[in-house]
Amino acid sequence: MSATATLELDYTPQCVPPISNEPDPTAENYLNHSHTWLSWLLTVDHKRIGIMYLVAVTTFFVFGGLAAMLVRINLLTPTGAILELDQYNKAFTAHGTIMLFLFLIPVVPGVLGNFFVPIMIGAKDMAFPKLNLASFYVYAFGAVFFIVALLTGGLDTGWTFYPPYSSKYSHTNVLLAGTGVFILGFSSILTGLNIIATVHKMRCPGMSWGRMPLFVWAMYATSVIQVLATPVLAITVTMLAVERIFGVGIFDPTLQGDPILFQHMFWYYSHPAVYIMLLPGMGVINEVLTCFSRKNIFGYAAVAWSTIGIAVVGYLVWGHHMFLSGQGVYLGMLFSILTMLVAVPSAIKVFNWTATLYGGTLTFQAPMLYALGFIALFTIGGLTGIYLGVMGTDIHLHDTYFVIAHFHFTMVGGMMFGWQAGLHFWWPKMTGKMYSDFWSRLAAVTTLVGFSLTFLPQFVLGFSGMPRRYPYYPPEFQMFNILSTAGASIQGIGYLMPVFYLTASLFFGKNAGPNPWRATGLEWQTASPPPMHNFDELPHVTCGPYEYALPSSFQLVEASHNPDHPGGDHPHLVTAGDPHGRH
Amino acid sequence: MHAEQKPIVFEHEHAPPNSVGVTTLIFVIMLGLTCMALLVGFSDLGPMKIYANLGVACVQALVVSMFSMELKNQDKLTWLTAAASIFWTAILFLFTMTDYITRGYAAH
Amino acid sequence: MAATNSTHDGAAPIVAHHFNNILQQQSSVRFGMWLFLATEVLFFGGVFCAYTVYRRWFPLDFEAASTALNPMIAGINSFLLLTSSFTATLAIRAAYTGNQGRLKAMLAATIVLGVAFLGFKSFEYYQDFEEGLVPSAQVANPDPLHHHARGMDSQFAHNLQHVLEHKKYYKDGAHLEDVNLDRCRLFFVFYYGMTGLHVIHMIVGIGLFIWQYILASRGFFVPKERFVYVEVLALYWHFVELVWIFLLPLLYMTGHHSFSDL
Repeated sequence: MSATATLELDYTPQCVPPISNEPDPTAENYLNHSHTWLSWLLTVDHKRIGIMYLVAVTTFFVFGGLAAMLVRINLLTPTGAILELDQYNKAFTAHGTIMLFLFLIPVVPGVLGNFFVPIMIGAKDMAFPKLNLASFYVYAFGAVFFIVALLTGGLDTGWTFYPPYSSKYSHTNVLLAGTGVFILGFSSILTGLNIIATVHKMRCPGMSWGRMPLFVWAMYATSVIQVLATPVLAITVTMLAVERIFGVGIFDPTLQGDPILFQHMFWYYSHPAVYIMLLPGMGVINEVLTCFSRKNIFGYAAVAWSTIGIAVVGYLVWGHHMFLSGQGVYLGMLFSILTMLVAVPSAIKVFNWTATLYGGTLTFQAPMLYALGFIALFTIGGLTGIYLGVMGTDIHLHDTYFVIAHFHFTMVGGMMFGWQAGLHFWWPKMTGKMYSDFWSRLAAVTTLVGFSLTFLPQFVLGFSGMPRRYPYYPPEFQMFNILSTAGASIQGIGYLMPVFYLTASLFFGKNAGPNPWRATGLEWQTASPPPMHNFDELPHVTCGPYEYALPSSFQLVEASHNPDHPGGDHPHLVTAGDPHGRH
Repeated sequence: MHAEQKPIVFEHEHAPPNSVGVTTLIFVIMLGLTCMALLVGFSDLGPMKIYANLGVACVQALVVSMFSMELKNQDKLTWLTAAASIFWTAILFLFTMTDYITRGYAAH
Repeated sequence: MAATNSTHDGAAPIVAHHFNNILQQQSSVRFGMWLFLATEVLFFGGVFCAYTVYRRWFPLDFEAASTALNPMIAGINSFLLLTSSFTATLAIRAAYTGNQGRLKAMLAATIVLGVAFLGFKSFEYYQDFEEGLVPSAQVANPDPLHHHARGMDSQFAHNLQHVLEHKKYYKDGAHLEDVNLDRCRLFFVFYYGMTGLHVIHMIVGIGLFIWQYILASRGFFVPKERFVYVEVLALYWHFVELVWIFLLPLLYMTGHHSFSDL
């Protein structure tokens, strides 16, 4: 084995002056080293697989958004504006299932996790590259299967597909859709398995757990949840399918079954699932906040351990979805207390982020705007979750628009904003191109305004009593519904804008250079886009991940002492030990 | 400030697989335990039968996991993975069974 | 182990491009399989949990239904599976020491024993179908004037009663007063479901053993470092054995069997 050279890590990349007029990147990178269809379709390179996930999840996000549009337009009038009753059921079910299973769960692990976890820990690839590719194809196949099921008959059971309606009475494509969910679950498990093995076994020398970026901690915790929770969903869907196909009674009360058993097993997965969706977004926020406030994260250990805490305690609270189902009251009380406990780690993170911002040198590019939006919106979402977690208030708020507003604040205001922050933060690294600063900031603000207008009225609707999943409502609620739909349109524009300016950046954007944001972290120490094997030499890490406070390795030098710049007389930067200035 | 952390080491060779003799011994023990399991099934222990059944099964499971799957030779990470799978299954059982046991307590 | 990273026939190198050394690779492969087995524990754990719920709710019905199963085939299958685990473990040792002949023999033995298990299981299912122990909603006699005893509405209940009459514990209707034979369908749903899932996992395992046998015939395991792949497949096979270890008492041994029934 030849001796591998060690990559010289620069621990003060943030002190490098911003580089303008970056020359064309002619170096071979993961994008340009081969162009054939097969080199993409059969790639085992985690970066290319991440790009393929990006294309896929964006496509399915558009489908889910179209379904949302149908729902919101239908709610413009109190008696349903454009859809029949059964069509409305299919529309909100399609929106929920597509957004959850085809978008929110795979988006950050599939795109940013696949792309950056190996680079951030100094590895050349994931632990099991072929499994990574298989996991993508399983996802794509399951997603297409699911969409076909939705288009050729639809699904009207709601995303929770409770029996006995889903197993006995519904005439829609429950079996096909359930199979699609089962297949998608497999993809989720395999991705999680890969990330756990990678983080444990593939870290470069010196990369201890305490030096890993918090994004990797978040991806690790997410993967633990994916691996442990998804199999229970798989078996639950299987039992539902058996009940539906063979007409037997596992959950059917007329055949001595118990429908609440389905709910227990379903929510055993589906509550941790919301943390699968949320934790990666929180991981992104750690990276973005530290970079754009030029500060080390406040309380690294607290944030890392609270990530693990959310992952573990998140398994102990599922009954808060079932307070009104017929579940035992004593168990309900236990779940209620545990629900309040699970809010604590999330709150710890919000406090730590706020403390990170305090005293920092803030700049407000698009990733930072999305990150700040995340903190504000997620806090509202999290607090409203407490209302729902307290059994007494939940009796009035269960199955109302309050619940819908709560989970959209956490999932969209939280996770979606986190995804946008991550996409905008790492876009220059993935593609080597910078996008328009103006349009990206405008899109962030538009999305924030649109989102708030969409979902704040829904809190009011909820505690006024408007039930969820109903196409008809009392006329006095119409004003809030119209506001909500107007907000949804603005939000939609906010989501469409990145598609345009990010695509435009591929053709017209300036070359970004290796570190346009002057961030720390191993991924910013390679070229943009990264070379195929990530690192030419094996990195050896000796510092923490957010060393924004290290003294600069550059120093100002008087120009008159410099024979290479006879005409200039203003001070410029040189590296320590290099008297002739940085070339 | 930048103290040297312990390097990640893979130089520790994993223990070799069980020898033929040890494997045969485990096989014979499992044969005996299976016979016991069948005997319990044919016996009439009344309410204790289920506990005897599960007791024998647990001993069998311990033998298979510790010795056939060589869990006792593995590193802490593998122990953690195996323990986590049991613990998380236990969470599912515990909370679900609590519902069915206590459902009638507050009923009027 | 100062091994060269090449095989004699110029096939894929022993250490993949993204690993630094063979020990890291072996460690990762082993860990990957343990992680996968953790997911399988949760997968089967779900259906075991559902079984436990109903077992606690309807204990007498479950005991009666379990008595209708065939404990002798279950016992034979237990010994077959146990022996196949034994041969799979011996295969690891053979690969580790580089004994290609013994490796292929042990893999083949595992395959044969596994197929024998499936054979007996098919026969058992066939017997159950013949006895009409299929949990369907088919009603015994749709004539509303025909009076049924409680819990005897379905054809299944009549079939089950017929089977139980031949068992010593339930002879002449003994111990059947509190048993709702309609409700025993629930037990049979779990019986077919759990053993069916187990069978699917066995088929996948046998398929993988066949693949490894073919690889062994091609000399894939000549470099002794590759024993780890035999080891992880054996881990999977041991897990399949573990599931059976719990299926046996919960599904079969719950019933009131006696030697005179055999």
